[in-house]
Amino acid sequence: MTGPSLLWIDWKLSPKAMVRETAWRFCLLFLTGLFLASLLLSGGMNRFLSEQWAVTAILRLQVPPAEGEGIAKKAAGLAGARTAVYKDPEASWKEFLSAYPGLSALRTTGGNPLPGYVEVRMRPGRFTEADIGAVEAALRPLPQVERVLSGGEVLPRLMRVRDGVNAILWAGFALLCTVVFSIFLLLEKSRAFFLAADFDFLRERGVPVRSIVISRASGALLAGLFLSLAVTGASALLLFLLEDRLPLLGRVIGPLEELLTPSLLVPAALFLVAVALLSGAASPLGWRAAQSRPK
Amino acid sequence: MIEAFRVGAVSRNGTLWDGLDLAFDDGEVSVVTGPPASGKTLLLKILRGDRRPDAGDVVVGGESLYRGNPGAARAFQAMSGVIPESFPPAGGHAVRDLFRLSSVAGAGISSKERKEREEELLSMVGLHGAQDAGLSSLSVSERARIALAVELFRGPKVLFADMLLHNAGEEWAEMLRGLFRALAREGKTVLLAERAIPGRWISRGIGEGTPAGPFLLYRLAAKGDVPR
Repeated sequence: MTGPSLLWIDWKLSPKAMVRETAWRFCLLFLTGLFLASLLLSGGMNRFLSEQWAVTAILRLQVPPAEGEGIAKKAAGLAGARTAVYKDPEASWKEFLSAYPGLSALRTTGGNPLPGYVEVRMRPGRFTEADIGAVEAALRPLPQVERVLSGGEVLPRLMRVRDGVNAILWAGFALLCTVVFSIFLLLEKSRAFFLAADFDFLRERGVPVRSIVISRASGALLAGLFLSLAVTGASALLLFLLEDRLPLLGRVIGPLEELLTPSLLVPAALFLVAVALLSGAASPLGWRAAQSRPK
Repeated sequence: MIEAFRVGAVSRNGTLWDGLDLAFDDGEVSVVTGPPASGKTLLLKILRGDRRPDAGDVVVGGESLYRGNPGAARAFQAMSGVIPESFPPAGGHAVRDLFRLSSVAGAGISSKERKEREEELLSMVGLHGAQDAGLSSLSVSERARIALAVELFRGPKVLFADMLLHNAGEEWAEMLRGLFRALAREGKTVLLAERAIPGRWISRGIGEGTPAGPFLLYRLAAKGDVPR
């Protein structure tokens, strides 16, 4: 009896059931992969908050645009900053008017009363009190800066809410993984039970039980790897397609070009390995559970 | 050669038999007959290395199935075929699935070869074109003949058959006798366990059986026999 002939034994003995089961597995893993990709891209609430939240350095009235641009360039170079944009007094006035349309009369008496400002947005992964404090500390001593607005006492509370939401999201992911693994285990158990007579047939004809168990586990591991590769590809494709059609999604999960960065590729590789290992482990565990069940 | 030395077996109701000495040469067809509950099925299991005897030992080709290398019994089982009394217990299968299962046990049989041999063997047992039939839809006789075809599919060196003649029915006895003789000429050993020898075989002078414990042992054919 050679090993490879037993590797896909479940597919040989029960091809239709295996196709059905694989389709279910694909759906479950697709859901899990999509959840993980979204979590990794968005960093939970990090990206959404970093999009919404800005550290604003209000400049003094006499500061010329060139100096404002220089401050913005300097701020953009700070470690936690993702973007830093200078808005001149004219842009400030337009924004003010769009927010308060009835107050245009303010300008007629003595020119533009509003100063320019520099708006700094944080990187999603550096949206922390310390990093925001570091940006604030870098801008405050500048002679051109009148004051820095960074949320003050609201920020710590917001951070706690963010941490809580992120913890809930990761706990949800862990729960989903547990449910998926449990379903895999049940599928393996029911299949091992369904095919028990076939395995007895093989055992009675000199095929060692250990070979059957090891080959099935190896086959399940390989199938898990192929399936997780397909799932990862399909999840990435769906996100690409949806991001074009749903701008809000883009704001929450960020640009999909980031999928090809090490911070996402490494977890994706871990996901592939974890799915393969869990699929491989579910096979002998399901076998053992089926063996202990009364026939 | 399969040799059983001083083999004994105990059941819940006491000792079934003890001190049994049996020998089956290569290319020999033998029938062990015995009354119900005399332990015929158990004897076949013991002889093929599937159940350790309560006393004695079984030696195949000079190697003990129970007291030597643990792989010896498995290796012997891999080159033997077994037709159980009630066959097959395996799931809601079609005939084709059984051949597929048998091909998994006999690794190295290609899909094309499998289909050709399926056809050939099913025709031989009078069930031409039955590949897609569900096992549950077949009669006892048909199932027994399917079981025989499935085992012959792998070309085993030794064939153990429990109540095959009884299940196949009297009308198949002559055909099976011819088949077993042909197998014997190829050097294959066939060991049948039955309640009684088919009436037609008795009328054609199979001879008196040799007593062995509660059993009678008939030698149907040997490798060197000239076909009649």
